[in-house]
Amino acid sequence: MPFIMLIYYIITAYILAMLIWNFIKEKKSVNDMLLYLLVMIPLILRLLRVK
Amino acid sequence: MQLQISIILAVMVFAYIIAKWKKLSVEVSMLAAALVGGLAGAFVATPPINQLARHLVEGAFTYLDVILVFVTATIFMAIVSESGGVNYVVRGTIKLFYNLRLIALLILMVIILIPGALTGAGSVSLLVVGAPVAMALGYLGVKKKKAAAILFIVAGLSAAAPPVNIWAMILSAGTAIPYVGFELPLGIPVLILGTFSILVLGWKKEGNSDRETALKEMPEITANMTWWRVLLPFVVFFGLVAASRIWPFAYPVLGLPLQFVLAGLTALLVSPIKINILKLSRDTVKKLLPLLATMIIVGMLQQVMTATGVRGFLSFAVISTPLVLLFILLAIIIPFSEGVLTYGGAAIIGIPLVWFLDSIGLHATIVIAGLSLLWPLGDGLPPTALIGRLSIMVSDYKGSYWSFLKSTWLPWLVITAVGILMVIFSARLDFLVKWSM
Amino acid sequence: MPKQWKIKVILILIVAAAVITAGIQLYNHRHYRMLLTAGPGVTKVHMLSDYCSGLKGTMADTHVFFLKGKEPGGKMLILANTHSNEPASLLAALIFLENAVVEKGTLIIIPQFNNSGGRNTRPGDGYPLYFEIQTSWGTKKFRMGNRDASPLDQWPDPDVYVHYPDKQLLSFLDIRNTNRTWPGRPNGALMEKVTYAAMELMRTEKVDMTVDIHGAETMFPVTNCIVAPEKAIRIATMTSLTLKAREGFDNHVEPSPSGFRGLSHREIGDFSDTLPFLLEAPLPFLDQPTGPKTVKLLLDGKDPFLLSLAKKNKLFVPYDESGWPMENRVGQHCSAVLELLRQFSRKSPDRSIQVKNVPRYAGIVKNGVGYYYHNPATINKKDLYFN
Repeated sequence: MPFIMLIYYIITAYILAMLIWNFIKEKKSVNDMLLYLLVMIPLILRLLRVK
Repeated sequence: MQLQISIILAVMVFAYIIAKWKKLSVEVSMLAAALVGGLAGAFVATPPINQLARHLVEGAFTYLDVILVFVTATIFMAIVSESGGVNYVVRGTIKLFYNLRLIALLILMVIILIPGALTGAGSVSLLVVGAPVAMALGYLGVKKKKAAAILFIVAGLSAAAPPVNIWAMILSAGTAIPYVGFELPLGIPVLILGTFSILVLGWKKEGNSDRETALKEMPEITANMTWWRVLLPFVVFFGLVAASRIWPFAYPVLGLPLQFVLAGLTALLVSPIKINILKLSRDTVKKLLPLLATMIIVGMLQQVMTATGVRGFLSFAVISTPLVLLFILLAIIIPFSEGVLTYGGAAIIGIPLVWFLDSIGLHATIVIAGLSLLWPLGDGLPPTALIGRLSIMVSDYKGSYWSFLKSTWLPWLVITAVGILMVIFSARLDFLVKWSM
Repeated sequence: MPKQWKIKVILILIVAAAVITAGIQLYNHRHYRMLLTAGPGVTKVHMLSDYCSGLKGTMADTHVFFLKGKEPGGKMLILANTHSNEPASLLAALIFLENAVVEKGTLIIIPQFNNSGGRNTRPGDGYPLYFEIQTSWGTKKFRMGNRDASPLDQWPDPDVYVHYPDKQLLSFLDIRNTNRTWPGRPNGALMEKVTYAAMELMRTEKVDMTVDIHGAETMFPVTNCIVAPEKAIRIATMTSLTLKAREGFDNHVEPSPSGFRGLSHREIGDFSDTLPFLLEAPLPFLDQPTGPKTVKLLLDGKDPFLLSLAKKNKLFVPYDESGWPMENRVGQHCSAVLELLRQFSRKSPDRSIQVKNVPRYAGIVKNGVGYYYHNPATINKKDLYFN
């Protein structure tokens, strides 16, 4: 994998980690919990090199 | 087929209204529309039910790269702001130009125009320079509502400005017209309309503060903050963007997200105070959540609309409209398509529209330039309202969204009129294209 | 378990169910092994990476089939799936691959030119993942691909794509479009390597003519045509006139614009001695104002919205209730390629290329496309290639 592409996977993983962290910390808003999960969808599948 | 698609469209609209009525957020209401629309379509196998999850997930990828830009750009600016850089710049601007209002306003306009013009994204303008410009406008006596309106209009124009205009690029790519000759057809209207907008919205000074009082009211400068500490991260960012144009074949494509990451790391290194980057990143992602979710769900909605035929039906309705009525309706259709589909609107409505207008003797390049002045207006319209929402976010305006949007009415009308006139008289304006080449 | 975690677990399960279902379908699509059957005319098979080592081991690498005749002569390269969402090109190329016997000269076929694009789907556009062609022995299944290469193979995109070597600015997406990255470069982005490898193939093999097969919207002016630059326009014109006179279908000639860079019909001619031609057949599936994007629309090209627009004279091709079936499109492509070969051979007898056993328009319209694909169960295993 080219080096620049590898960095993009690291950036993606970093953003995903922030989303997971916020999801775990979210106590009240079901709306926000759902939105965090939705935003995670493409990041997870990109990291797994599915899409 | 028309009836079948109309029913699916009605079901989608109904689902959205019910969700809003049940006090669900805009994002979840759009998700409901996408889901219910997909299920309604599945009754007639458009799409087949076993493909519905795939369509939703695939749609979520439509704007993945835009999401990466949003997050990295906002984290970069948050670092600059946290380190005290934003305060420093605003104080400097007020000190130098407080009593030269016309020049101060024009400089602020150019500052907003540059990042969007270079990257084609008004959001980048707002995320990078929006907050300091809004603060500077505040100290110049421009109310937050008007400051948000200025940011929205000028950031929109920055996205339309040359050299990079993504709507024009999508249309050029889709209609096989080379992306050349746009400099003057886009540059001249953007500069005139930008000047007009910032003067209309920002010329009147509210309150009677003077330069000294304004400076006193501003937060203190962080110890050890200097010009070079503020400038260096921006030099890195703009340097990388400029280098990718000047020496495009000398190194691999970096892409905007990585360019923002490198600028952010520079800002972190030169910051006079220690910054907790993990906490800052987490807070930024939290703040951006509604925007990021909107991008994901609009992609899903677009995919479902295509798979069910709703998207094609809307495109058909536009193309079938009689010519004179079409010119008038452009004022509504174009911004509305952007509000619902963001860049998707340019592809769905713009491409067949440009082919059609080209075939009746209008000049395609000027038509595209004219239309691409109208599309950014749609970035203030729900359900997405991307640039509108970013504008009130960075200017810290707490009033209602509609009161903000209403305050943009005059520049909105003038931009609309200019855009439509450019389309109608495109054949006579072709000299602008020739002079650009 | 606290209430908030109960809600979280429920939400995770719902989203995970959708992600896993979709993830499996998307993964299977990318890794689906499509069958390519080499016919009796195939004499050797290379990989595109043989002409640019940077492609080795990547999803962009693809098969290059050589069909060499007994007698020496000229050489023609056929490129299909430059845009993998225009599948008539692939179907036409496979008819050549499975049936053509070359008597003089050489035919080189790359059926899946943008191999990465063929493994990509198009977010936001709601395409089906596969389509099937009926044959007498069953169905032959194909991946439906995308116009652009997959970001899994080439990422990130620039904010604007600067074309090599002209520095013309193009849409950021076009850096993954193998009909905008010509003539390419060996150390550029992956798709620039793909087009560079093809250029190298043309230069080293001394290819006389290249045909890049496409499909285009009925609302697009450049459709149902042969696009050619100045040096190839005479052969294109003769081909177009002959097709109309002998086979009864329109295929007008469009000159390749010199100011629009990165396209095969422009750059191949400018950067090699090869004569380039680009074939476009109408593809209603790609039009914006259509009903749902179904396999049926892809195959029969029938759409009520386009029919209504045709009555208002808003299409650039004739269109009636019969739509634009796949057989007609594939038939047009096969006839156009054969006629280009004939016209070239007449003009340059010392470099002539003679091919037999490939059906023409009328035959394909009558028998259907699947009629010309052979049952893999009856084929020697060494002639079966999976990609």
